[in-house]
Amino acid sequence: MAQVRRALIVLLALVPIVAIGSVPEIGPVQRDHIEVELVAEQRSVEPGGSVRVGLRMLPDQDWHTYWVNPGDSGLPIRLEWTAPTGTSISDVRWPYPDRLPIGHLVNFGYEGEHVLPVTVEVPADLVPGQTFVLDLYADWLVCRVECIPGDADLRLELPIGAAEPAPEPATRELFAWADARRPEIVDWPARFNAEGGRLSVQVETPRTLPTDGWAFFPAAENLVDHAGDTFITIADGLVQVSQPLSTYFTGAPAVLPFVLVHADSATALSFEAAPGDLASTAAPVPAAAAPNLGLILLMALAGGVLLNLMPCVFPVLSVKALSLASGGGGDQRAHGLAYTAGVVVSFAALAGILLALRAGGESLGWGFQLQSPWFVGLLAYLFFAMGLGLSGVYAFGTRWMGVGENLSRHSGLRGSFFTGVLACVVASPCTAPFMGTALGVAIFLPWPQAISVFLMLGLGLALPMLALSFWPGLGRRLPTPGPWMDTFRQAMAFPLYLAAVWLLWVLARQTDANGLAMVLAGMVALAFALWLAGRPDRGQTLATARHVGVAMSLLFALAALGSAARMEQAPATGEASWWEPWSPERLQEVIDDPERAVLVNMTADWCVTCLVNERVALDTAVVRTTLADRGIVYLKGDWTRRDPAITDYLARFDRNGVPLYVVYPRDGGPPRVLPQVLTPGLVVQALESL
Amino acid sequence: MKLRLSHYLLLVIALGLVGSVFAAPRIGEPAPDFSVVDTQGQVHSLSDFAGQRVILEWTNHDCPFVVKHYSAGNMQDQQRLARDEHDAVWLTVISSRPGEQGHVSPQQADELTASRNAYPTAVLLDEDGDMGRDYDARVTPHMYIIDPDGILRYMGGIDSNPSRHSEDIPEATQYVVAALDDLAAGREVAQAITRPYGCTVKY
Repeated sequence: MAQVRRALIVLLALVPIVAIGSVPEIGPVQRDHIEVELVAEQRSVEPGGSVRVGLRMLPDQDWHTYWVNPGDSGLPIRLEWTAPTGTSISDVRWPYPDRLPIGHLVNFGYEGEHVLPVTVEVPADLVPGQTFVLDLYADWLVCRVECIPGDADLRLELPIGAAEPAPEPATRELFAWADARRPEIVDWPARFNAEGGRLSVQVETPRTLPTDGWAFFPAAENLVDHAGDTFITIADGLVQVSQPLSTYFTGAPAVLPFVLVHADSATALSFEAAPGDLASTAAPVPAAAAPNLGLILLMALAGGVLLNLMPCVFPVLSVKALSLASGGGGDQRAHGLAYTAGVVVSFAALAGILLALRAGGESLGWGFQLQSPWFVGLLAYLFFAMGLGLSGVYAFGTRWMGVGENLSRHSGLRGSFFTGVLACVVASPCTAPFMGTALGVAIFLPWPQAISVFLMLGLGLALPMLALSFWPGLGRRLPTPGPWMDTFRQAMAFPLYLAAVWLLWVLARQTDANGLAMVLAGMVALAFALWLAGRPDRGQTLATARHVGVAMSLLFALAALGSAARMEQAPATGEASWWEPWSPERLQEVIDDPERAVLVNMTADWCVTCLVNERVALDTAVVRTTLADRGIVYLKGDWTRRDPAITDYLARFDRNGVPLYVVYPRDGGPPRVLPQVLTPGLVVQALESL
Repeated sequence: MKLRLSHYLLLVIALGLVGSVFAAPRIGEPAPDFSVVDTQGQVHSLSDFAGQRVILEWTNHDCPFVVKHYSAGNMQDQQRLARDEHDAVWLTVISSRPGEQGHVSPQQADELTASRNAYPTAVLLDEDGDMGRDYDARVTPHMYIIDPDGILRYMGGIDSNPSRHSEDIPEATQYVVAALDDLAAGREVAQAITRPYGCTVKY
């Protein structure tokens, strides 16, 4: 192709015609199955002007010639120009071709009369009254099923005139045809790669384009299997094309010119794609947890302070405050510090237990994931139950308070320390909105930060008492315990109910209306159990019945959650169950399992390619069915926020961005990377090969 | 652009069909076996030639690109080189359907061999095109080299200049010759896949 292009621009003196040439012929020339002629758009040329010239070709009925890329077979035409010194001749402005299926191959070419136009810049030193002579040697292949090569030496003679050249009526329609098929050259960002056995092309389009009915014409030879299934998707400002590579593909070109044609709207666009990853349109969001940690800690501190106003804490606090106010100087400070130590140590112990649970859960492969309906449902239950507690449906923790009170009655520093512990214990039923948040954060934060959150919470709880021990006078300004505390407690129930509603919404998205109804029924059962448990005892028999009732209701609540979670696991109704969150441990586990193959999808919310691929290929019935039928585990990694584990995984495939699709066969063989533009057929084929 | 399940199933079925048509052979993998009758009525299979290097040449005597290489003696020279110097088997294959260009009777095929002074081991008459499709033979000439273990080592064009002028032959890289040299020297074939050019096979 390079030779052809080089030959297209010729700045030559009127050298004798190329070796093979005979005498150049003017006008239409008949060869086997084709008529050819060198024609111009105008009747004369001006010195220093330009003229459009073209090779007119008229193959016989059913015969065709070829585009710059002929397709699976055929040959591009070869053109050699000879023109007066100072003449410059452009490359052929290729009119877009037709797709011509020949047997099991597809060619790109032209049937019927057509023209291959070039623009000729005429030298300025031409003398009006003389003749401008342009010669062309053309060597082509004209085919039906069989092919006949042909060549001709053609000449065009145009009078040189000083006046504005007149258009040539005979060729008007011919050049109009070329204009109608001339693609608009656009410089929209375009990339391509040949990963995974397919050519993947991506264009960012600033224009709204029709979504259906496009044809793709790559201008590079030996790149794609032209008869292969071409998959063109236009969505979210992105054009994506996927086509199998040619059997004779040996390497990607340095640049890929291509044309997209939408015949219905007479749109043809010409692009040049650069090789590379199909980059996403945005960069990953850097980890956001770190800058927000200060805010989280401040909120934890404020939450801890607010805990003091909780009705289950305040009485203890006020008793202690009064005793502090009556005592003397430095001793009080020691008591205050002992109390603070008690609170903080208790919270640290709580955090330790939680993190130990988390670590235990993770080592068992049970991540704390909001994706699990079990987890979401349990959280909703927890928030709802805590809200009911605040609303006064039941009272919980009163017995613990007694235990604590005995300890805290001890005088001395030991007593103060245990008052601190007690404050934590009694606070637990009404820790409500703050503890809930802290729990949530602690589950997802790295452990040093999670511990800090709990310590701040404890410090906040201890802070008012610490202040009182240093400035006992403040104690007299404390509000006295009273009915306002109950009102405050009850008011604090409502944020919890809202939190439960949010969790139910999440759950509804994971399951469906049925799953949501089951969980709501479970919540009613839970409320019943708590209400029943809070009823005062009236005789042995009744008490037994009550315990049975509580147990049954709790069982029902759990069963309801279980059945909702199962609904989530049924692929027909579930939204998210057919994939699992990716983690290195889970991936390794499945790789080690000889029964299971894996599909890994690394994606991000800001990666439009990823979303388009999921919509058109991965999230389709046929792919889901294949995954389910073949027992293939589908792991999805979310790189929306930079995740070092995913970054490492991408690096293993020499990638620094998403999307990345990898399949692992059952037998533990090497993984295979799929193309960056997916089609349902491609994914199914890849899955079936595992 | 929401497609229904049935559409996807059709698509998948269609892809399956296309896939079977295009089960193209791969370099470094076992070449497809075949069982095709020659002009003498003898049936040849790839397995018959185990232990010998096999060269496949798809041809159509009326194709101008085939004519280019036969009229200049290039194809015959390569046949002699392969069989005499490399001890290889050279099978010329005709996959043209009866009635299509290039289809010949066994007698005509033998006459062509004699008149062109060609030197193939045998000329295979693949009238139903099965062998051609198994090899994904697209054009004439289309060349393949299979090593003594039955592994495909080369597929593609006869040379590097897709022109129809026999004057261009001396300056073009003769891919089959180059590949045979590589194999004889125990090297990997430098250009194992090239663009085949010529006339579409008339299946």
